[in-house]
Amino acid sequence: MLDIIFAELVVAAIITFFVREKLAAIIAFFISLLPLLALLDWASNYGFAIINLGIENHMKIYLAGVTLHLAITPLSWFFALMILPLFPVIMLYSYSFFKENDGFFALMLLSLFATFGILLSRDMLSLFLFWEMMSWSSFLLVYRSKDKNAIMSYLIFSVFAAFAILFGIIILWHENSSLLLSDILNISGKLGFVAIASIITGFAVKAVIMPLHAWAPFVYSKCDEPFVAFLSGGLSKLGYYGIFLFLFSLKGVDILQNYMTNVSWNYLLAVFGALSAFFATLIAILQDDLRKLLAYSSIGQLGYIAIGFGIGTPLAITGALFQAFNHAFFKAILFLAAGIVAYRTGKWKISELGGLAYKMPFTFMATLFAIFALAAIPITSGFASKWLLYEAAIQQKYVFIAPIMLIAGVGAFLYSFRILYGVFLGENRHDSVEEAPKSMIAALFILVLPLIIFVVFPGYMLDLMKPALQAAGIESIAHTKFAIETSLAKYNSIAVLITLMVAMIPAFVIYKARKHRVTSFEDNYLAGEPYELHKPAMHAANNYYKPLKKVLLPYLEPGATYYFEKIYNGIKCVSNAVRRIYTGYVQDYAIYVVLFLLFVMGWLIWI
Amino acid sequence: MGLHNGDKMMRYEEWSKLARKASKRSLWMVHFCTGCGAIEMPPVMTSRYDMERFGIAPMATPRQADVLLITGYLTVKTLRRVIQVYEQMQSPKYVIAFGSCTINGGMYWDSYNTIKHLEKYIPVDLYIAGCMPRPEGIINAFLELMKLIDEGKARGWERYQKYYDKYKENQRRVFNFEVKEEEKEEKEQKREKNEEH
Amino acid sequence: MDMIGIAIKITILIAYAIIGTCTGLLFMGIGRKIVARVHNRVGPPFYQNFIDVAKLLSKKTNISHGWIFDLALLFSISGILLTLLFLPIGGVQLLSTDGDAFLVLYLLAIPSLGFALGAGASGNPNAGVGVMRALVMMLSYELPFVITLIALMIYYDTTSLATIVRMQSINGIKSWAITMPPFMIAAFAADMALQGMLMEQPFDIPVAPHEIASGPMVEFGGKYLGSLMLYKAIALVAETTLFVDLFLGGGVVAHGNFAFVINFIVWLALIFLLFALSILIAASFPRFRIEQAFGFYWKYEAIIAAISLIWVYIMVIK
Repeated sequence: MLDIIFAELVVAAIITFFVREKLAAIIAFFISLLPLLALLDWASNYGFAIINLGIENHMKIYLAGVTLHLAITPLSWFFALMILPLFPVIMLYSYSFFKENDGFFALMLLSLFATFGILLSRDMLSLFLFWEMMSWSSFLLVYRSKDKNAIMSYLIFSVFAAFAILFGIIILWHENSSLLLSDILNISGKLGFVAIASIITGFAVKAVIMPLHAWAPFVYSKCDEPFVAFLSGGLSKLGYYGIFLFLFSLKGVDILQNYMTNVSWNYLLAVFGALSAFFATLIAILQDDLRKLLAYSSIGQLGYIAIGFGIGTPLAITGALFQAFNHAFFKAILFLAAGIVAYRTGKWKISELGGLAYKMPFTFMATLFAIFALAAIPITSGFASKWLLYEAAIQQKYVFIAPIMLIAGVGAFLYSFRILYGVFLGENRHDSVEEAPKSMIAALFILVLPLIIFVVFPGYMLDLMKPALQAAGIESIAHTKFAIETSLAKYNSIAVLITLMVAMIPAFVIYKARKHRVTSFEDNYLAGEPYELHKPAMHAANNYYKPLKKVLLPYLEPGATYYFEKIYNGIKCVSNAVRRIYTGYVQDYAIYVVLFLLFVMGWLIWI
Repeated sequence: MGLHNGDKMMRYEEWSKLARKASKRSLWMVHFCTGCGAIEMPPVMTSRYDMERFGIAPMATPRQADVLLITGYLTVKTLRRVIQVYEQMQSPKYVIAFGSCTINGGMYWDSYNTIKHLEKYIPVDLYIAGCMPRPEGIINAFLELMKLIDEGKARGWERYQKYYDKYKENQRRVFNFEVKEEEKEEKEQKREKNEEH
Repeated sequence: MDMIGIAIKITILIAYAIIGTCTGLLFMGIGRKIVARVHNRVGPPFYQNFIDVAKLLSKKTNISHGWIFDLALLFSISGILLTLLFLPIGGVQLLSTDGDAFLVLYLLAIPSLGFALGAGASGNPNAGVGVMRALVMMLSYELPFVITLIALMIYYDTTSLATIVRMQSINGIKSWAITMPPFMIAAFAADMALQGMLMEQPFDIPVAPHEIASGPMVEFGGKYLGSLMLYKAIALVAETTLFVDLFLGGGVVAHGNFAFVINFIVWLALIFLLFALSILIAASFPRFRIEQAFGFYWKYEAIIAAISLIWVYIMVIK
């Protein structure tokens, strides 16, 4: 079945390149459902209980003398559940987003092909091949933005990541003489440490952990929104998939720890995650560009997953996977909603927007819900994941990481409200704007569904990830359908929800007891000034967190991007110096040849 | 009110009596301080006279307030703002006017630019005579207003709804040179819609 | 039998909600009286706030700015009631037998977010600025508060408020957290954070009436303002109760059959003392600017809280 799906994806990618945009969207939508069907098929065949398929059940591709192994595992099943549903939704959204077919759908299908391949690959070679395919197809999508910063930074960081991963894989292959992921890594000491560390570094680029995040703000803020939704929602999760695979499924943690016993390498990952959560949140608060804000917020929220993997207890890993799942959905909603706003108004600056909530109520509602999930309000599933991570940090007595995580959580309120107020509330400046097309609204609300399901039943989510954790030898934490129990406390979602509904009754009574009338926006208190007279500017979103900016900016100013730019400029200087040898004069080249010959001769004589 | 059933009417009356009881002990005011009377307000608020003991508190915006204090003379320009503030208040709402300027123009009786009879433009529930009234006078006026509210006699806001056209016409006569014809009509329609309650 | 048990529980819950509201309104009235006495005034009667709420809820006209504006009313009252019911009051926790401090922290955000939405929906620039200030204040005071919270959690090795209260009530007053030196420091930091949470001076920056026309509340009147007052009243009780639960053993001094009556009275006295303290601070200090408040919390308060956290960490590690 897998080979059929792969073939169909490629064929559809080619076809969608040539047909008109609506037809391409429809084809892409139906084709992108296929991998999901494969998942369902797998679930019905094997159930959730099966740990790992034996090597005889792998699908094998013989390619130029090597064998690629493909099969589904519990871990990839869980990650597929969070990444693959994004594709049909994005295709549905793109149905009305694009004015003409310029290859978006074909490249998206190729990305889907590669993503599916990464999740299914059972040996390192195919993992690397599909990883590269994904990097290149997404690079072509980035290239469509025509923004030099985005293209260059994405290219350089992707290549760096690919080299790091390849380097690690080669070492592992050389020492282990097997590329299969089902074999236990039989490597230790310095080489093992270098291999695992470089692979983790490579995946951390796509997982946007803080010092390696520098490409993300450029790319996220310049590309097409449907693609960015995949980039932030899906692609970053693939980075974490890789980290999980090598750290926990292949027991890379032990290799790292055995080499240097006095340093806690786990803790280091958690610290990097905490720093990304903290600093990215503070930077996001100060952004005025909607896409930049969401980009930094992505980095911050993904930092939590790194913290979870870093803490490394069953509780923390459960929380991290839950957070990854939530993030895939709510961040996709936010990016798609930002796309809708730009689609309707053509503006990205928060201070230029405003008052869209009454014009686009459905977009607003979906965004509001996503923001509830992002800010971990306990009426969405966003809370359970953050709660698990906090619990894990307290359980391990991580006194440095726990406060940072919590304060980053509070910071999330600040930038969420900047979106809500700046874009959707306040003064309405766009009279002719209307609600987004139905397909876009449908896309948003499909993505809201999991956030609702898993707040009512957080236990189901833990059930879903149980086989993945078991396969990696991690015990799952105690839970029932509605409640999660840890050694420190218990979280019962249904109690919160029911109490909230009951508590709504007095509020509703007060609301209904007296009639109210709805007044127009113009009828606002302006110290007695009639609005019609001068029509003063009513939107306070310009430079919204100015006092905070004044305090924080001196501390945030020389960021990681600054140092990367320094490195970039340094390399440019060196390259320019090297380029000087190409003078263009034949005499110079002749001298080079003579010098080279002299050097060779001298060398031969020396030998 | 729209309630024709006698029983319901009775209950409504009873209830509204209770509401009036609460209303009179908690008068929140917004003071329009362009006139000279503003200087009399700080002593009334602070420890010498302390109006908070009657539950009277200054508020920041008309939305939150029940009483509009007009502390002295109004010009054409400020009248417009007063009307805006008054219309933004939520009924039941009351107006207290300070000093002789609001009654008959006071020392500005022959000025071309001041408003002589405030009653023509917004319904005043209570005047405080004097130029200027003492803080005792202001406290006294509040107590008087409380009595009026309790007896159900402070009905300025109902008067404003009932004779809305007349008030608007008077206002328009003053503003005539400021408002263009179209804007006027537009505004009128809007106000009518707003005041339907 | 089970049905009767549930009925009793629901009755007690309703009673708690009503008691919480009434206590809050009463305290606010007494607070006004205290401030008046500090100013050498007579002050309003102690029941003034009941009258105010009654008046606001009986206003004839209520002006709304659309359905998002109405969310403020719905979310604020329900959210704060929800928070109150999840807190141990006088050592008794009715809902979620193992209720969680993080949950309470995030539940407290529901009403604030609701009000922020309503304020933003009015479109008034003052409201926008006010909410901005409120959120920056939140970011400021949460840092010291969260650090002290983590110190407590690490010391007692739990995140459950109920367990924290239980462990502090083993020996009555002697086992309250505040009797231990590191937590004395922490309690000072948390009390300053409480001052910001209650939005009392010097931290009443978000609702500064003369600068930004009472900030987020600028367009609220009638039932909307009434619900805001109710929210403030319950929030006052909830926030002081949170402090009492964390540092003062939830007010639990007695054990036994009718101990809950004594505990309840002690709890009431303790939250009143906390509130009176914050009112006295409020009556004698002018207002900070927002940057100053941010600096105060993130520099001095955070360092004080961090000292207590490190102290506790060393104690626990030993």
